[in-house]
Amino acid sequence: MGVITDKLPGVLEPVPGGSVLLTAVDQLINWSRSNSLWPLTFGTSCCAIEVMMATGAARHDLARFGAEVARPSPRQADLLVIAGTIVKRMAPRLRTLYEQMAEPRYVMATGSCAICGGPFMYHSYTTVRGADEIIPVDVYVPGCPPRPEAFFYGLLTLQKMIKEGESIRHPGERRRPVLAALPEGMTLDDIRKEMQDLLSHDANVNMAAAVAEGARYSSELKDF
Amino acid sequence: MDALNLIAAVQALQPDAKVREQTDQPTLIVPAHALVALARQLRDDPTLRFDLLETHTAVDWLDEDRFELLYLLASVPLGHHLTLSVSIDRDEPVVPTLCEVYPIAQWLEREVYDMFGILYDNHPDLRRLFLEDDWVGFPLRKDYEDDFMLERPE
Repeated sequence: MGVITDKLPGVLEPVPGGSVLLTAVDQLINWSRSNSLWPLTFGTSCCAIEVMMATGAARHDLARFGAEVARPSPRQADLLVIAGTIVKRMAPRLRTLYEQMAEPRYVMATGSCAICGGPFMYHSYTTVRGADEIIPVDVYVPGCPPRPEAFFYGLLTLQKMIKEGESIRHPGERRRPVLAALPEGMTLDDIRKEMQDLLSHDANVNMAAAVAEGARYSSELKDF
Repeated sequence: MDALNLIAAVQALQPDAKVREQTDQPTLIVPAHALVALARQLRDDPTLRFDLLETHTAVDWLDEDRFELLYLLASVPLGHHLTLSVSIDRDEPVVPTLCEVYPIAQWLEREVYDMFGILYDNHPDLRRLFLEDDWVGFPLRKDYEDDFMLERPE
């Protein structure tokens, strides 16, 4: 991946039609990144029961979303799911774990405690009021704890963010953090349908859009 | 052994022990100086056999100016439970340690020292357990304050 992201733009862009290929490679990379999120097992309290155990178990089955390979080592993980309360003594360890993860790394804050301190916001001598005081967060999933459906909705939001996000030309450029609150009346069936649409969409790469984007870019290059 | 017999048996060992009414589990209020001797008798008596100190914690009664220390004892072979309650002065929170009777008390007493600042006389290693070593104050005391805490806005 390092060879592609570092050297490919410099090699390809002067070549005629190279930017088309570059855009296609962007899509491919973002598609593979979004569909193989390997979460780090980092559960500090009750949210871990919903987010790690319930979602990973057979009924909800995290594997459908390509995010079931929970890793116990930060060096093999892409996604840090903060599931639970962060206290002062845990904060430096969380920071260390985040820094040990390889780029690109994504962070989801699930549950009230990871978002703002939750029920321990006032009169607590040790609870950190929100994980974003320590590390940058991409997606917030509210709930106390969030249901598995809500967690899946947050995961889908993150996957959309990744697909619309970084490109080889602008590495590290991210969309702003979002609050992935489950809309009123949304059920697990709706999420399943959305996921099926997404999968069928992903199975057929939109080459026309990629070619149009590439043509636009190469015309800009010509003017330059 | 049921609750009434248990209380009678313990009061025969320690006549100063007073019964607390309206509790789920038989509870005896014991003076601090009698605690270690009583615990040793409870452990070694063949009809009582309290071989397990389930947990130990404290309550800060700020209005009454005292700490209440609670020792939850259990007997694994005989299957009965007993709570010992010891009240000590809030300004001078010193109590004899139970480490020699129940070794697990080392950890439990370190936790209570960490949170309430209760000093255990003769404890071999009375250090903080959960908080940083340079922490100032004891956070579960009712009058604890620091800069990090937020007050709930009215």
